[in-house]
Amino acid sequence: MAIKRRTAILVALGIVAAVVVALWKPTVLIYGMQSAGLYAAIAIPMGLVLGIVHIVNLAHGEFMMVAAYASYFACTASGMDPLLAVLPAAAVTAGFGLLVYKLTIRRALKSPELNQLILTFGLAITFSQGVNLLFSSQTRKISLEYVSASLTIGELSFGVWPFVFVFVAGAMAYGLKLFLTRTTTGKAALAVGQNPRGAAIVGIDVDRTYGLVFALATALIGGMGALFLTRSAIFPGVGGPFTMKSFSLVAMAGIGNIPGILGASVLLGLSEALMRAFRGLRGWADIIFFVLIMAVILGRSIKGRKS
Amino acid sequence: MNRNLLRILAALVAVAAVALPAFAGAYPLQVARNVILYMALAITWDMLLRSGQISFGIAGLFGLGAYASVLGVLRAGMSPLLSIAFAGAFAGLAALLIGFLILRLRAIYFSIVTLALAEIFRIVIQNLHDFTGGPEGLVLDGVILGGSASGLYWLTLAGLAVALGASWWFEKSKFHFALTAIRNNETAAKSSGIDIFRWLLATFVITSVIQGFLGGIYGQSYGFATPDSVFDANFTLLPLAMALLGGIHSTVGPIFGAVLLGLAAEWLKLQIPYGHLVVYGVIIIIVILFIPGGLYGLIKKANRASEGRKA
Repeated sequence: MAIKRRTAILVALGIVAAVVVALWKPTVLIYGMQSAGLYAAIAIPMGLVLGIVHIVNLAHGEFMMVAAYASYFACTASGMDPLLAVLPAAAVTAGFGLLVYKLTIRRALKSPELNQLILTFGLAITFSQGVNLLFSSQTRKISLEYVSASLTIGELSFGVWPFVFVFVAGAMAYGLKLFLTRTTTGKAALAVGQNPRGAAIVGIDVDRTYGLVFALATALIGGMGALFLTRSAIFPGVGGPFTMKSFSLVAMAGIGNIPGILGASVLLGLSEALMRAFRGLRGWADIIFFVLIMAVILGRSIKGRKS
Repeated sequence: MNRNLLRILAALVAVAAVALPAFAGAYPLQVARNVILYMALAITWDMLLRSGQISFGIAGLFGLGAYASVLGVLRAGMSPLLSIAFAGAFAGLAALLIGFLILRLRAIYFSIVTLALAEIFRIVIQNLHDFTGGPEGLVLDGVILGGSASGLYWLTLAGLAVALGASWWFEKSKFHFALTAIRNNETAAKSSGIDIFRWLLATFVITSVIQGFLGGIYGQSYGFATPDSVFDANFTLLPLAMALLGGIHSTVGPIFGAVLLGLAAEWLKLQIPYGHLVVYGVIIIIVILFIPGGLYGLIKKANRASEGRKA
């Protein structure tokens, strides 16, 4: 009961804060929610892998970058719209992710956690520098008309397109929740995440489940790569910062808590937008995720010492 | 192999390293300086790794040291040599603060926080325009030691000597037992009376002092510091790849790796100006998957096998 009451208080405080911000600086709310959607949509696949396969994938953002490059070249070659590329990108990246998983990560599952960290760090470098080697560090962008659609309410005018990320993030969280609680495969994945040995004893193919979950996560991030292309310019290092921010969001929500990532993203997105609203503070916005993750780590270690 | 023979060999290499400026031109000296700098960083990274903690923050503390040293000269009127010592102290202080906050929740959390350090320090320095010169950075009036090629080489070599000395001290003192115990099994280490937090904090601070110190040497020997040059991800990536390839948990391994990869890096830089770093990524993956002990580990294994046959 105590936990529920505290959550209710937190939610109420959050709503009050949002209303105050909305009345005082409506653009902060709009831009904050838009970037929160983007952060959440990128962080959720990482949370999925971390929660079930228990691997911190430092190449997470790089998978998105690779998918974005693949969609970019597919779209410029065929004149296709990046939106149509979302599903093919997801499928192709899933295959690529599964291949990378089978060739590298699967072999390191039994080795110490920190080896896995170095391994995925090596993957991240290989992907970003490989793209740099093949396509140079030049930024690339596809300009689309519908992206610049804007809405005017009173004196307020803002872009509407980035709200797509909010819907995608919500759909991802809801879809994954349904998948993990309603389908047999999803339930099996959840069981493997909680206790791989126990799951193996009751007859779940742990190795297959890991591969499946990794492929599913890379599929989601691959689709995001194509979607990301609609709005932003891409370059080899574009994914890196998202890896860091995604991890901080997953850590804030608590590993295994996918809906919690949505809340954490709103917190991060709004605080960044709030900082950007002030001229003198603008440059400091990118430091917030670090402050948040430090706060989370401190909170955990204090709680750990008490018990 | 004969122990005395190895000692004589090491002494010869040391003499040759000190005497190098006598028979090498400016370009080989420059290459040697790079190799030595990365070697020293690789050794400090490995020192912390012996406790089972992975730091991705080398570039952060290195860059912080470079800035501390350049700022010490420009804003506090320090002499260049003093500013290098100040750089070490400053980086150590930063590490003490950060380590105190995060080392209780170690492992993955520690690694991820250090991964962000270079970026965070870069943002801080870029935002303190008036004090740090912002994105354009700072330029010194002159380079330390008048910019003499052999002087700069010896200065960098002195940095390496500090790292080597610390690493050997770690191997011979109580640090070795404490860190190995922590790496192998934290619970067992704790129950034998090891204060894990204090040992890890001490190790993190000591390695960061050396990294900051090396950053100071770097800043003074090039006479400038910009956020993009001193927080370059290479300062994390190369030492990491070198130590891994050479063989972790030893002093000899990173030395091996640094010579191999340092020379390869010079060659690759000329062949492929952009994107040659992909090689390091691939090396890291291959070493972790197939030769976790690195090259030194392979040699040790081969040695042991041949001795086993003799016996």
